[in-house]
Amino acid sequence: MASTLKIKVNGLVHSVTASLDTPLLYVLHNELHLHGPRFGCGLAQCGACSVLLDGKEIRSCVTPVAAVSGKEITSLEGLPALWAKERGTTAAVPALHPLQQAWIDEQVPQCGYCQNGMLIQAADLLATTKNPTEDQIRTAMNGHLCRCGTYTAIIEAVQRAAKTMARGSVK
Amino acid sequence: MSAIEEMSSNVFGATLTRRTFVKGSGALLVGLSVPAAFTAGSASAAGSPATLDPSQLASWLEIRADNTILMRTGWAELGQGSASGAFAQIVAEELNVPYAAITHVVVGSTDATPDGGLSAGFLMKVPGSTNPEPFGRGALNIQRVAAYTYQALLGLASTQLGVPVANLTVKDGVVSGGGKSVSYGQLVASGQFSLTIPTTGSATVNVSPSAVVGDNLTVTGTPPTKPVSQYTVIGTSQPMKAIPGLVTGTAPFVADIRLPGMLHARIVRPATLGSTLVSVGQLDKTAYPTAQVVVKGNLVGVLSPNEWEAIGAAATVAATTKWTAWAGLPGSGNLFQALRSADYSHVPTTIGGMDPVTGKNSTTGNAGAALAGAARTLTATYFAPYIKHGPIGPSITLADVRSDGTVHLWWHGQAAQKLRGRMAALLGVSPENVFVHWVVGSGHYGRSNGGTEGGEADAVILSQAVGKPVRVTWMRQEDFQWSTQHQGMLMDVTAGLDANGNLVAFKGDYYAPGTGDDRPTGALLAGLPAGPNASIVTGISNEWAYDKVPNVLEQGHGTDQLGQPSSPSNIGLRTHSMRTPTHRQENFALESMINEAAAAAGVDPIEYRLRHTSNQRLITVLNTLKSEHGWQTRPSPSPQASATGSTPVSGQGMMVMLRYNAYWAAAADITVNPKTGKVQVQRYTVVVEPGIVVNPRQLKRITEGGSVQGISEALREELTFDRSKITSVDWVTYPILRMTEMPKIKVVTISRPDLNVVGMGGEAPNGLPQAAIAAAFYDATGKFARSYPLRPSRVRTMLKA
Repeated sequence: MASTLKIKVNGLVHSVTASLDTPLLYVLHNELHLHGPRFGCGLAQCGACSVLLDGKEIRSCVTPVAAVSGKEITSLEGLPALWAKERGTTAAVPALHPLQQAWIDEQVPQCGYCQNGMLIQAADLLATTKNPTEDQIRTAMNGHLCRCGTYTAIIEAVQRAAKTMARGSVK
Repeated sequence: MSAIEEMSSNVFGATLTRRTFVKGSGALLVGLSVPAAFTAGSASAAGSPATLDPSQLASWLEIRADNTILMRTGWAELGQGSASGAFAQIVAEELNVPYAAITHVVVGSTDATPDGGLSAGFLMKVPGSTNPEPFGRGALNIQRVAAYTYQALLGLASTQLGVPVANLTVKDGVVSGGGKSVSYGQLVASGQFSLTIPTTGSATVNVSPSAVVGDNLTVTGTPPTKPVSQYTVIGTSQPMKAIPGLVTGTAPFVADIRLPGMLHARIVRPATLGSTLVSVGQLDKTAYPTAQVVVKGNLVGVLSPNEWEAIGAAATVAATTKWTAWAGLPGSGNLFQALRSADYSHVPTTIGGMDPVTGKNSTTGNAGAALAGAARTLTATYFAPYIKHGPIGPSITLADVRSDGTVHLWWHGQAAQKLRGRMAALLGVSPENVFVHWVVGSGHYGRSNGGTEGGEADAVILSQAVGKPVRVTWMRQEDFQWSTQHQGMLMDVTAGLDANGNLVAFKGDYYAPGTGDDRPTGALLAGLPAGPNASIVTGISNEWAYDKVPNVLEQGHGTDQLGQPSSPSNIGLRTHSMRTPTHRQENFALESMINEAAAAAGVDPIEYRLRHTSNQRLITVLNTLKSEHGWQTRPSPSPQASATGSTPVSGQGMMVMLRYNAYWAAAADITVNPKTGKVQVQRYTVVVEPGIVVNPRQLKRITEGGSVQGISEALREELTFDRSKITSVDWVTYPILRMTEMPKIKVVTISRPDLNVVGMGGEAPNGLPQAAIAAAFYDATGKFARSYPLRPSRVRTMLKA
């Protein structure tokens, strides 16, 4: 049966109507019309659906919407504001998170389907590991699958973004 | 009253018409209303033309007053940047505008792009082509359009500036001469003009039970094109226009498009590939109040305005739906024997591959006689399993069959016109009533080059049944079990060596089901027209690299799709092309045998290849691989090779592939733990010389990506199936390479503008690692790896051989 509940996504509280077992992905997609998280497997195997829950990467395809109430959800669309908050800046929110800029600079995506999860997982990694080694990046990203094989570009982009973030800028 | 003076002139075969308006006359519309690049088009396309007129410039290019340009191509963007990147570079080059001036690229939609486009081999010029341009296929259409346009703009500028064309120069879209200048935008704004471009063929596709006809719209003539030596845009690393939208979540995928009244659908799939419906299961309307079931033949759809409800309802209906049994597959464990014992006698044998230089048949000499007289012969049988394309996003289509008789699909795939023809045939309507809107989406790696990638017919049939827009999303398991796959192959090879170990004869016989099952799954299940069966012919994709070998015969032996002849649903183990189709398997056999012959001759594998070719492009690539990989020049196996023990042993291996005017060589360093059977690739190097490198960074990126897919295939991938169904159902039962398993990949590109040719850059990297890793396995262990994937269980068996 459908219930009405409140969830906080990218800094805004939304009232949504859904059965409590509905995976968060379908609420983000069909109720809030967010494009970032994508359906890949519904099994938490590929990572295309990832979002941050209180800053940690989760699989929205297997997380019931009831489990996220009272917590902060950040989707791909919310990364620039997250970066502004992490910097503690009062300036306007930048158009891009340094990771998104690095993804453009390094020309990472091919089809792009998995890249939402890659960016979310990388944001999780860089929040705790400011200057990761290549091995740390590989280990952190290992649960995300890319069929186009963009892994090398992802490693290079995470390293680029880490340098940018150490400077506290976007580019 | 308006008065129009009209003047026509011939521009290298195109017709330029200038219309001069008398002051006060009404405006003449130029151009069309179109969606922005990579958007899905307007949800209600009513009133827009069903087909663009390819003879009109405005169908291809729109030059705006601000000197920016919108371009259109029927070829789709697959993520490698060919249609939206390389094609835009070509247009910018021919028009003498910056790459950034091409602000919009509209791709692959039947009502918004002028040509068709089986989107594979976008740029390549085939060996033996005598075209003056360096490009072929889809690139040639857009290059010629841009070249005609450039000449027309020069003519307009000459008239406007009063300066002969010969005295004009163009930079960044501004024409200068005689101390005056005018921009393209001003030329177009100041006097309406139209350009009629010569074309042949038709973009529109018609599908009958026996044939698919059309999708061959070609821009003809040879307008002057810019000499390769003057290129300033082609050959530079330009950014992919789609990427900002992909990393910000602003690019809408099919799942992001919503239409009023739209229903979500999930399909209840048959219990086996060959099953037919006995009875439909019960829908619990209490638990799923908004859900409904639609049945058409063996197609059972469950629909709801709420996606999660559709998913839950479909699962409960599936639990009680009854299907007939069927067990017509051999089972993947018996695939080798099944391919050995299959009937190939009713299918014409393909004889000979392609000579990489002339494009002619590569058969030469008398292989049979030469083998009989050889000092030594080597024989081996190689085996490749079935593999999945494995898109990360499962099939998804939004269809809207409207009461006005039009049919709209929002979809991601390679061949919009083919899909349009297939859906028209399915519904029994004219292709003019069907609108296919291309949308950004998950890569398919060849799965959709016949138009369908999965659930298109499901969506159309259900939308027609309920009179509402329907979005069909396949679940992960469904995408594995009901999409097509690339076929496995059995390959018998014999090599003849002379007394000095030189190769004097080569014979390869390649056995596999044919490929190209583009029949829409939903049409097959619903019993509606699905178009012709897949080909049953197995072709030869190898290009013969070793011109010093005097006797060569390669033969392709085809057969039916496994299981299909006995399947009541007419569905068996459906095959489809996938990047480097059949080439990856046949070249694995060819290159593995060259490596075996080198070992038998006691010669280093690179040196052995150099002995057998006089092709300078290949020689350059081989020598570059040697230096760039840090190759140890010595015969295989390694002096330290071992097939026993728990200490990992190391090996190096290499291979080459020639594919449509591109020359590739790859080397792998691996370790093998003989006790556990674990294989790890430590280092991997690819060298490519594709003639002109259009976009160096993008070629590097897509080569890295293809290498990951190929290494994944070599180490991990094998489709499993039992007698009834596919049993690889997710990323656990069909594992692909992960980031921690990826070696360091080095890509070396060699550009040869002097060759005036662009080879195929996008897909060969998928087909290289298998033979290189197999060769490294032999180097490390002294045992042949004549099949893959090199999973531990298979490796342990190989090491006991």
